[in-house]
Amino acid sequence: MFRLPFFFIITGIIGFFLFHGVSILTLFDWLQHDLRGPSGWFYTHLFVLGWATMLAMGAVYQLINVILQSTIYSQRLGYAHYVFFTIGLSGLLYGFVSFKTIYIAGFATLAFIGIFLFAINIGVTLWRARKWDAITISAACAVLYLVLTGLIGMWMGVNFYTGNRTALHESLLKAHIWLGTLGWFGMLITGFSYKMLPMFYLAHHYPTRLQWATLITWNTAIVFGAVSFLLGGGFWTTWFALLFVTLALVFYNIHLLQIKKHRVKPNPGHGIRWSVYAAQFLLLFIGALLIYTVVFPNQLLHPKMVLLVGWVYLGGWVSFTILCYVSKIIPFLWWTHKFGKLAGRPGTPLMADLLDDKKVRMGVITIAFCLFVLFAAILIDSTTLTVVGGLAFSISSVLYMILIGRVFSR
Amino acid sequence: MSEMEMIERIRELLKLVYDPELGISIIDLGLVYDIQYEANKVYVKMTLTTPGCPMHDMITGGVDFILKDRLDISDVEVDVVWEPKWSPDMISDEGKETLNYF
Repeated sequence: MFRLPFFFIITGIIGFFLFHGVSILTLFDWLQHDLRGPSGWFYTHLFVLGWATMLAMGAVYQLINVILQSTIYSQRLGYAHYVFFTIGLSGLLYGFVSFKTIYIAGFATLAFIGIFLFAINIGVTLWRARKWDAITISAACAVLYLVLTGLIGMWMGVNFYTGNRTALHESLLKAHIWLGTLGWFGMLITGFSYKMLPMFYLAHHYPTRLQWATLITWNTAIVFGAVSFLLGGGFWTTWFALLFVTLALVFYNIHLLQIKKHRVKPNPGHGIRWSVYAAQFLLLFIGALLIYTVVFPNQLLHPKMVLLVGWVYLGGWVSFTILCYVSKIIPFLWWTHKFGKLAGRPGTPLMADLLDDKKVRMGVITIAFCLFVLFAAILIDSTTLTVVGGLAFSISSVLYMILIGRVFSR
Repeated sequence: MSEMEMIERIRELLKLVYDPELGISIIDLGLVYDIQYEANKVYVKMTLTTPGCPMHDMITGGVDFILKDRLDISDVEVDVVWEPKWSPDMISDEGKETLNYF
């Protein structure tokens, strides 16, 4: 089982380096601009699919055994997924850079086939295990929303090629973004946290009711928001979707505190600690946004606000949480592969020996600080601060990933 | 070596099997519920900190290895059970000290 998650995780790390490498080379001129346009699509898809989704898919293949206590339905299907998705994504990125619509349409279709194979594999695995709790339902919902996101993306790609850009295009785009961000990443991170956090905090006897409350409110937000976008809803429907997201985040954060309260291990690792702080920050931000947009309704879908929300949600929560989790996922993957059979033999290193947690702490704090600088730069429209913050963000991210990658040399 | 002495020896050997994430032996974690020794055969009843623990195979494999390696025994049975459920109260004082939990 080692190879399949390994392929996704390594490809995700390559995507991560590529994103930051290209960002440094282009001096962040895209950071403050409207992301709607070929270069914006390239950057966002490289970040969202090439890094975050690739890593998340690898984590799903790695953790599904832990969650279900059974193996994946088909490893062969997993490899087919990897091939279709990676080729599809690479071609799609080239299509955006060169703005050749035939590539966008064709490779978006290949990427979608990959996603569809992933959904079949996970769907059958979940169905066979028949273990339905908040964790498995969240994972199932996440994959379903990923399929819908991919389907809409492919649809838009084909429309680009055929020139059939109807009035529906705008609605499709909004639903595509909503389902991908809130649906796929939101459901996956919350659902997996219900398993990962107690494991690393060694928490027991904590209540689980709020997992269901989060699951229901988060799903309500996703469905309500997506339908509202597809039917061309106005300010209030979008605002209500945001209200449900805020409620879900309140339940989610309280639940994380419940897990923390029932912990046995005071320090679960700094990566895990900071993933909790990231969730708390997201709640504060979305709550503030909710109040702010009641006072200034025209700001809700203003391009600058969309850019800021996008950075806070995807950079500050999704990607940052993944960066926090890789400090556990990668040592676990490598330890299992290299030392798993040596357990019980004197001299076998512990997982903690593979990665210096103090350096992880320094890495995540630096990245978090740089992200704050970026958020501030977007907020005050400062190009200088954007360049400084963006450069520091990319350099610190690359150094952090090198630190994590060194685990493979142990 | 009497049966009781042998069980104590097995118990000492199991202190060499660590949870690789926590860095605490399975004995100090209170994961081992029962040890039986009879006619060159060892039976270990144990649990894990959580069902679906990703370290399941590694830890049970470690138990199997250390007993076969250090004792002249080829028949080791490791029985993983979920009842009674493991609880943090089962961690030894030494284990709690390592975890910094009191």
